[in-house]
Amino acid sequence: MLLTVAALQKEAYGVEIKRELEERLKEKLSVGSIQSALKRMEEKGFLTSEFGEATSRRGGKRKRIYTATSYAHKILAEMKEIRAGLWESMPKMALQFG
Amino acid sequence: MKSRTTNNEQLSTKYNPPKWPVKFLRFFLNKEYLEEIEGDMEEIFQENVELLSLKKARRIYTIEMLKLLRPILLKNFRNMPVLNQFPMFRNYYKTSFRSLMKNPMSSFINIFGLSMAIGICVMLYGFAQWVNGIDQFHEHKNEVFLITSVGNRDGMQQQYGTTPAPLGEVLKQDYPQIQKICRITNAPVVVKYQDKVFHQAVRYADETFLQMLTFPMKWGSSGSLTDINSVIINQDIATKYFGEENPLGKSIQLIFGEDRKKEFAITGVAKKFPEAHAIAFDFLINIENLKVANPNYDPGDWSAIIDATIIQVNKPTDIATIEAGIDKYKTFQNEKHSEWEISSFHFISLADLYEKAGDIRDCISPPYYKTNFTAVVILSIITLFLLALACFNYINIAIVTAAKRLKEIGVRKVIGATRSKVITQFLSENIFVTSFALVFGLVIGIFVFIPGFEQINGFNMGFTMSHPKLWIFLAVVLLITGLFSGLYPALYISRFEVVTILKGSSKFGRQNPLSKVLLGFQLVLSCILITCAVMFTQNTGYVAQRSWGYDQNNVLYAEVQNQFAYEQLSAAMAQHANISSLAGSANHIGKSHRTVIVNLPPDKHYEIQGLSVDANYFSTMGLQLQEGRLFNQDSEVDKQTLIVNEELVKNFGWSEAIGQQVEIDSMRYEVIGVVRNFHNYHFDSKILPMAFTSTSKADYRYLSLRVNSGSERETYAAIQAQWIKLFPEIPFQGGYQQDVWGNFFENIRSHGKFWQGIAFITILLAGLGLYGLVNLNVTGRTKEFSIRKVLGAQTESLTVGILKQYAGLFIISLVIAMPASYYLVASLFDFAYEYHVPMNFISVTIAVCLLIFTLLSVVSTQVNKVANASPVNGLKVE
Repeated sequence: MLLTVAALQKEAYGVEIKRELEERLKEKLSVGSIQSALKRMEEKGFLTSEFGEATSRRGGKRKRIYTATSYAHKILAEMKEIRAGLWESMPKMALQFG
Repeated sequence: MKSRTTNNEQLSTKYNPPKWPVKFLRFFLNKEYLEEIEGDMEEIFQENVELLSLKKARRIYTIEMLKLLRPILLKNFRNMPVLNQFPMFRNYYKTSFRSLMKNPMSSFINIFGLSMAIGICVMLYGFAQWVNGIDQFHEHKNEVFLITSVGNRDGMQQQYGTTPAPLGEVLKQDYPQIQKICRITNAPVVVKYQDKVFHQAVRYADETFLQMLTFPMKWGSSGSLTDINSVIINQDIATKYFGEENPLGKSIQLIFGEDRKKEFAITGVAKKFPEAHAIAFDFLINIENLKVANPNYDPGDWSAIIDATIIQVNKPTDIATIEAGIDKYKTFQNEKHSEWEISSFHFISLADLYEKAGDIRDCISPPYYKTNFTAVVILSIITLFLLALACFNYINIAIVTAAKRLKEIGVRKVIGATRSKVITQFLSENIFVTSFALVFGLVIGIFVFIPGFEQINGFNMGFTMSHPKLWIFLAVVLLITGLFSGLYPALYISRFEVVTILKGSSKFGRQNPLSKVLLGFQLVLSCILITCAVMFTQNTGYVAQRSWGYDQNNVLYAEVQNQFAYEQLSAAMAQHANISSLAGSANHIGKSHRTVIVNLPPDKHYEIQGLSVDANYFSTMGLQLQEGRLFNQDSEVDKQTLIVNEELVKNFGWSEAIGQQVEIDSMRYEVIGVVRNFHNYHFDSKILPMAFTSTSKADYRYLSLRVNSGSERETYAAIQAQWIKLFPEIPFQGGYQQDVWGNFFENIRSHGKFWQGIAFITILLAGLGLYGLVNLNVTGRTKEFSIRKVLGAQTESLTVGILKQYAGLFIISLVIAMPASYYLVASLFDFAYEYHVPMNFISVTIAVCLLIFTLLSVVSTQVNKVANASPVNGLKVE
């Protein structure tokens, strides 16, 4: 999800994040799961948020826009490297499977 | 709540997410996240409405809402603002107190009414507690069981509290689970101490009696029952024979029969039995003494039946084992008594005995539970009615007085009170008032109602405040009364909008439709209660007058112990100038009868009441012969005849009674006469089929005398004097025939008194309620009345103006109330009494008149007030 937020350059707010994730993962997600994940990540310092604009579609309520912090970007890069390393040590097994 | 659409939106109907999930969300979610999450949810909702359907969108919304209830998103409930509630309640207390003081009349009506109703609640509680607590003071009540026998009598299975004499002993030997047994049997004896001689009932029991039934002792020890020369007496007997002194060690004589007497030493005095008791004893002696009373006594005789056998087991569950194996003993008994076979035995625990005793014949526990239980039920219904009356008064008055407080409510709402806070305020005011009423009610209940009730019914409930359950009961009463009477006014009053209040444009003061309904209800309830009271009062008079079916006046009777005594006494009395006729009998109307089994060939059996009398009995007692003839004196033939009552003829289905033949004890009897139905026992016993048989002189046990009217007293004194001359050792037993029903008339009168008290309270409550309502209504219309007076209205038109409001309501409620009262009270009477004053309209009419009278007097006080008030002052009122 962190990736998705980072990827969504424009308005990364609850509904948008949910939509994006559902598209990519081809799965139905609940608002509750998204929100709790967002809050947890915010607590850990991976995200910051601020209020955006209100629309009548939202019954006059403002959105909360999330942006990934630099700390988050750093962590993401680290994880990518670890994953890449693991993938490289796998070729023989993958071939055997195939 | 409609959302305002922006310019960009189309002016289409906007759908809103479902209300309740939104409210839920707002309650549960952390305030910081609320806006964002609610916004997200609404955006998704709108999308779904477009993509799918409204219904689906709503469903999805609700599901998503439920899924949002995660710990991380929830409010921090622990640090919620409870802290500032307390000062708020202090404020409410101050306001309630002030408003009570400002309206002394309404406050008085409310508090007084509620206290009366609560007082009755307290009385109800005391009574119910007594009824339920009867015989519960015995420590082993769950382990002690009474053995009952069930057999077939009259075509039905009947349960008897009596058992074969040897049963207890054999059970004890065969079952180790049985800790103790006790055999109990009662007998009449004559007790003599110095110059005091009385007929008493003595109880023979094994020494385990006092261990199993734990009566506390005042003097002496319960263990002394092992000594066969000891007797244990109760507190009242001790006072009767010995006054205040300690009788331990003194010796009294028990006379069992002709020359069977024995001295006993008093070795124990039981403390005054707890108020809630049913099983009791006067004199307790060891059962071995039966040998003294009856030399042929054989404890192992299976044909002998004793009044009760009780056993104590180690654990209540052991009973099942014994119950399974007990049936084999019935054969011993059935061999000896083939006409009265036992089909099974049952066990009833001491704890349940009082409750079940009504279904057991000849049981050592009296069968009063059902009547007492019915009384509790009826009292509960009355209590509920009265509480309802008081609460309705409160509701009506609260709604009308709220008019005076609208400004206060308006200001509170402006300052920031939400509707729920206003509701809380009024509810707490109500609880405050109810608490006051609770305290007063408790005082009234304990010092007025309970003693009054006890006095009317002649018993003591032993009510104490120390039962914890009482406080729980009071708290529940407080809560229920408070909520019931306070909820509606609170909800109603808090609904008013601030703007309308402060502008002064809120319509208030007119008759709220609910008030009318409540008032109507009150009238119906009051009518029912008052009708009931009138009927009970009428019943007292009716019962005093109703014919007994024979002439009970001017008749005396005396019990004699045998034929010899009869002949002596009757010879002595026959000389007396005032005696117009005398008769002898084995049984006596109102005192004793035999149970007779009549067989109608080929196969019908009936159980009837039998009276064995001589030929003169009918004229002496004033019984009325309808058909046939009476017995002939000393006729041998007539020994095989019967004179029956109308009820028997009806029961047996005979069209012609004279000449019918029946079989009793394998002997043939012929019916020679039919008497009019008469009441053998008091009016609460149904008249049963009955037959008179001709008795032989050897069986005479009663002497009946008809005396000239006016001479009862002196003849009674004369017969007593004769008795003492003839039988100085034996106390006289006899009396006036008209007293033979004992306390019956007293009881009926006490019912009447009780209901009169209830009616009084009802009228008080209804009257007060009416007064309060009318007063407030008139005060609210001061301006109107002043204007009318200025324009020249007379007192009559003012009266009509006031009455008009209530006339319609009164008429409708009374029209409903009359048939309701008629039927309800009629069924109550049919249920409670076997024979009673027939239901009539007079009682209903009186109730209705009383209520109308109350209304008129209330209205007249108000009319006076209005008539005397100066219209100028009225118009100045703002």
